[in-house]
Amino acid sequence: MVILISFDIDGTLEVGDPPGVLSMDLVRRASARGCVIGSCSDRPISGQRAIWEQHEIPVDFAVTKHMLPDVKAKFQADVYYHIGDREDLDKKYALEAGFEFLWPDEAMEEPWLSADGNA
Amino acid sequence: MTTQEAPASVYRSREGLGIWEHRGKVAAVGIGHSPTARRWDNKPETSVGAWSILALRRAMEDAGVTPDQVDGLVICPVTTTGAFWPDDKPIPMDVVNAFNPTDDPLDGIAKLSAEWLLKNMPELVNVKFTSYGPGCMSNAICVAAQAVGDGQTNTCLVLKGWHNFEGRYYQGGAAAADAIPGTSAISRLWGTPASYGTALQFAEYCRKYGKHHDMMAPFMSNSRRNGLMFPEGYWAQHRPEHLTTEDYLSARWIAKPASLFDNDIPIMVCAAYLFTTAERAQNMRQKPVYILNHAASRGTPRSLTPTLDEVEAETASTGRKIYEGAGITADDLSFENMYDGFSLFHQFHIEGLGYRGIKFGEALDFYQTDISIEGPNPVLPSGGNIGSGRSRFWMHTDCIQQLQGRAGARSVTGVKPEIAVSGGPMPLGGNFTVWSSTPG
Repeated sequence: MVILISFDIDGTLEVGDPPGVLSMDLVRRASARGCVIGSCSDRPISGQRAIWEQHEIPVDFAVTKHMLPDVKAKFQADVYYHIGDREDLDKKYALEAGFEFLWPDEAMEEPWLSADGNA
Repeated sequence: MTTQEAPASVYRSREGLGIWEHRGKVAAVGIGHSPTARRWDNKPETSVGAWSILALRRAMEDAGVTPDQVDGLVICPVTTTGAFWPDDKPIPMDVVNAFNPTDDPLDGIAKLSAEWLLKNMPELVNVKFTSYGPGCMSNAICVAAQAVGDGQTNTCLVLKGWHNFEGRYYQGGAAAADAIPGTSAISRLWGTPASYGTALQFAEYCRKYGKHHDMMAPFMSNSRRNGLMFPEGYWAQHRPEHLTTEDYLSARWIAKPASLFDNDIPIMVCAAYLFTTAERAQNMRQKPVYILNHAASRGTPRSLTPTLDEVEAETASTGRKIYEGAGITADDLSFENMYDGFSLFHQFHIEGLGYRGIKFGEALDFYQTDISIEGPNPVLPSGGNIGSGRSRFWMHTDCIQQLQGRAGARSVTGVKPEIAVSGGPMPLGGNFTVWSSTPG
């Protein structure tokens, strides 16, 4: 099963401003479990890429908030998730693009992110 | 002593007033900045009041002036345009009580009075003149310059502070109320984004002159580049990220054709300047930067949102006022630092100035040429709000620093910094200052 996970940054990841609850190690774990991962944020695309490079996490995409439909069109997956902290800028865009939406604390319960999970 | 807004007669808002009577007789000397932050962390020492005090003290120190020598204080009492304290949110009494409060518990937290500052800066023992320049630093500078020139104050601190709270900008205050008074009830109908009016004007500009939003990209990248060389700024301090053409063009629309990056990032920051007479400035620590003129735009639109025609007529008039009072022409400008928060009206300002001979409809083509600080035609060397976050004062600080030779890595090198202009905010409704390295 191919799982695609789109991470918002600010308020979602620990490196965000404000910091979110999702650590970069959790992102690494999802990647190691074979998930297609990337970021979808209002940060400049070059800034998103810089964050991933700084933390040595290879990602499959880095896009801005309104580009989730492009991500869905580009990557074939069985399920598409976007994880974010905002009703208007994350949940709305995710649902409109046909993604499942998870709040950061909900995402931590998912098997592809949790320490003892299997995906 | 209750501080009042400066009367309308202070502002030079009409054409035909001739040379400013205090041309070259008022100078900026000291600069003080607080740190920056994206949002307030609810601590007393990082409140807008505390950071204002810090900026004021740094400005005095920078100028080599002792607090007892200061006899004037001009500030902006409003410290936000879009971050309001919710009515149902408890007042943080630990913060209130960390200072000497006024009757308003949010003074120093969500607003700022001259009285609050004087209560909390006991070293300012000789302040006899206080005034409010509402809106932004551009306004306060005009008030302070005129006051020093008129002899109401000899050594005057000028301050603008900005707070920013958690949550989204422009979502609280009147925008969250059930009813909005006045024309805003119509002009803000359905909760239009703040950049909506500017976006309309820019769309018409592109249609009229055959231009495109993509042509803004070199200006945006150049502004962020300049901002990253502004160590006092938000992006330089917290997120040293360039804004590439790809970044800019891939941003989502806020009010098409205004994208996310055409809107600035709200931050917390305070800045203060020390103004004095040209004569007194000779004995201070920093090189004086002389004020040749201040001018104001008070144009009002015929309808709810200014049309492009009205914008162009007003910026042209502002340009004439700026030059007339300073006794200069466009050819005398070393560089310009007009306002940019929204980025899409910067070209209206510089076309009105006729900066480097450009005419209406030509600024976006001008942006495709060398507008860097190293070139012969620097555009917004401060980087403005795009480069350092929403403060509306980077352009003034930059003018002073450039003419003092203190702009560091941001120094213009393609031209000799001798005369500069800064100001804003809006094409219809703003205040502008002409700065000079010599009294003229």
